[in-house]
Amino acid sequence: MSGLLGQINPGLLLVFVGFAACLIPVQRVRQAIVVATPIVAMVLLTLAERGTDLSVVSVLGFDMILYKVDSLSFIFGLAFLIASFLNAIYALHTDDRLQDGMALAYAGAAVAATFAGDLMTLFIFWEITAVSSVFLILRAGTKAAYQAAMRYLGIQIFSGVLLLDGLAYVYKSTGSLSLEAFTSFDQPGAKFIFAAFAIKAAFPFLHNWLQDAYPKATVVGAVVLSAFTTKLAVYAFARMFPGFEILIWIGAIMTVFPVFFAVIENDLRKVLSYSLNNQLGFMICAIGIGTPLAINGAAAHAFAHIIYKGLLFMSMGAVLYRVGTAKASELGGLYKSMPWTTIFCIIGAVSISAFPLFSGFVAKAMTMSAVATEGYVIVWLMLLFASAGVLEHSGIKIPYFTFFGHDSGKRVKEAPFNMLLAMGMAAFICIAIGLPTIGGFGYGWLYDMLPCTTTAPADVCLASGEKIKPYEPYTVDHILTQMQLLMFAVLAFILLKRFGLYPPEKPGTILDTDWLYRKPGYAMVKWAGNVWDKAGPAMTATFAGLGSKAFEKIETTFSPRGALARGPLTISMALWSAVLLGIVMLVVLFSR
Amino acid sequence: MTTPTERDASGRFVKPEKEEVLPGDETMHPMSKLLFGWVGSARTPLFLLVAVIVICVGLVVIDLAVNRHEYLDIANANGFYALWGFAAFALAVLSGWPLGKLLRRDEDYYGEADTKPHDVENNS
Repeated sequence: MSGLLGQINPGLLLVFVGFAACLIPVQRVRQAIVVATPIVAMVLLTLAERGTDLSVVSVLGFDMILYKVDSLSFIFGLAFLIASFLNAIYALHTDDRLQDGMALAYAGAAVAATFAGDLMTLFIFWEITAVSSVFLILRAGTKAAYQAAMRYLGIQIFSGVLLLDGLAYVYKSTGSLSLEAFTSFDQPGAKFIFAAFAIKAAFPFLHNWLQDAYPKATVVGAVVLSAFTTKLAVYAFARMFPGFEILIWIGAIMTVFPVFFAVIENDLRKVLSYSLNNQLGFMICAIGIGTPLAINGAAAHAFAHIIYKGLLFMSMGAVLYRVGTAKASELGGLYKSMPWTTIFCIIGAVSISAFPLFSGFVAKAMTMSAVATEGYVIVWLMLLFASAGVLEHSGIKIPYFTFFGHDSGKRVKEAPFNMLLAMGMAAFICIAIGLPTIGGFGYGWLYDMLPCTTTAPADVCLASGEKIKPYEPYTVDHILTQMQLLMFAVLAFILLKRFGLYPPEKPGTILDTDWLYRKPGYAMVKWAGNVWDKAGPAMTATFAGLGSKAFEKIETTFSPRGALARGPLTISMALWSAVLLGIVMLVVLFSR
Repeated sequence: MTTPTERDASGRFVKPEKEEVLPGDETMHPMSKLLFGWVGSARTPLFLLVAVIVICVGLVVIDLAVNRHEYLDIANANGFYALWGFAAFALAVLSGWPLGKLLRRDEDYYGEADTKPHDVENNS
């Protein structure tokens, strides 16, 4: 029985239930199903056998491997399922059929894509994540959300098209679509697939769909969106591009540049979106390093990140829900009316800042060590800078300007119970996987799930040829250096604030690379459209005029009523034709 | 607590606005009083500053006593992390002044000032 259950793809279950849930009108029945499904899916996942093709479907003579679990996909899949469960609880206060269903289907598509055993299956679920998630933005109901959703959908679908192009090249050259790691960009399709993943992972200059769309989504939608798409891309990179050196540098740049945007951004959900980008950088960098320690670092970071980033988005969502805004310039002093939300937000903030005893510490330490071990000094310094930057925007700015700082005078009710419950559970996980191991409790639980263990390492762990060694995060060196970094950064904050050097939070739109396509790009398209509107009819008229004149001329000359058909000229034409034909024949005859 | 003299974005001194009338402590959530009652105290900022300085000094002193084993030479220097943390944070924050001037536009720059989603409770 367990063998049979172990063959059911938990992602597919979520997708089917999610689409069906859109049709269930009774709020509580629908929500009970939506909350229970991820739990059932987690049970199914634990029953799955590792390393074999558990579910294969033959379509048009091609075998699609729908379900394959190994230690790399397991940890991502589990994180997605936990996030999906927490999100379902977080959404209990709203009665929105489409949002409930699509949130579950979106999570399911991400899980199913994680467990895909071939590129075609990956592509299909890759696209389902795009199509299902767009509703989470659309449901916000504003014009801004609609426009952002359309841009988001366009970019996501484009990523899918690139993936499809890439897999076509792979199939043409190898005759197989198996999900194997590339070893160089010269392999057919590698560049296309890399670009497809790069869009979803929000690489620098391709990142703006994220900061554009997430802050405009619904309260619940932003929480849901924060978990899946980008981490699916991280998983895909770990699966197919481990050890590609370019990823180290791209990742390092990704950690640094969002820090500067996050400092000046006023919308705190947008600050969190920039922070998301910065965190992805750490994972991408680790995948570029590609050693077992680094791959473990990326996976652990992704797991911890899905939970604490979700928690931070939840707390900002709760504030937005009660106050009606998430803009730093309009918030402050909310600890007086939302104490629980404050505490949970602080737990998320210290987790993402990687304070010892919290999840970020045990996860990020591996990436930092892996980068240092491989001797990338500049990259390491960049990551260290970014670590102080994370403390600035997510560790201090978010809780300080929302709950403390200048009292806005706003007094609201504490967040609804279901929101607090979801935040409480997420906060519990942040602490539970961050503590030192005491009696089977602590970071050991997370470390036992990592992809590169000596007992059952994933294929990607063996690519670098390095030995898999156990890692100990709680050493005196680590705790001391991390605390130095963070506490001196906190000191910098207090001093800057005290001397009035901290830039005030001001309302406004911060320009980013999306300006290029939203202003000059759009203007050019509009201009081209205007030009075409005017020039099109004029050109049509000119060509039509020219065309009809030419036709008239030809007709008057060559038609049966035309000049050439008249009297002696016809006879001379026939004669001349015969003479010419004769000459040609003679030439051909003698030239042979 | 009186508001200290503020500067605006261009660095000019601005007269502090009239003290707003804030809701009194009786509107505070009981849990807030229990957990964060100390936050509003006038001595808290100074206390926090002193506490953080004490911790920072302590960390540097411990660093002098501990012989760390780092893979990168630069990281072995005593107090390296302290310096880098302070400098990185200060750089990130201070860059906010010029970057804000350079990149900040009106809220309705893209014609999307209204981003309040429909599922918020406070829809006024």
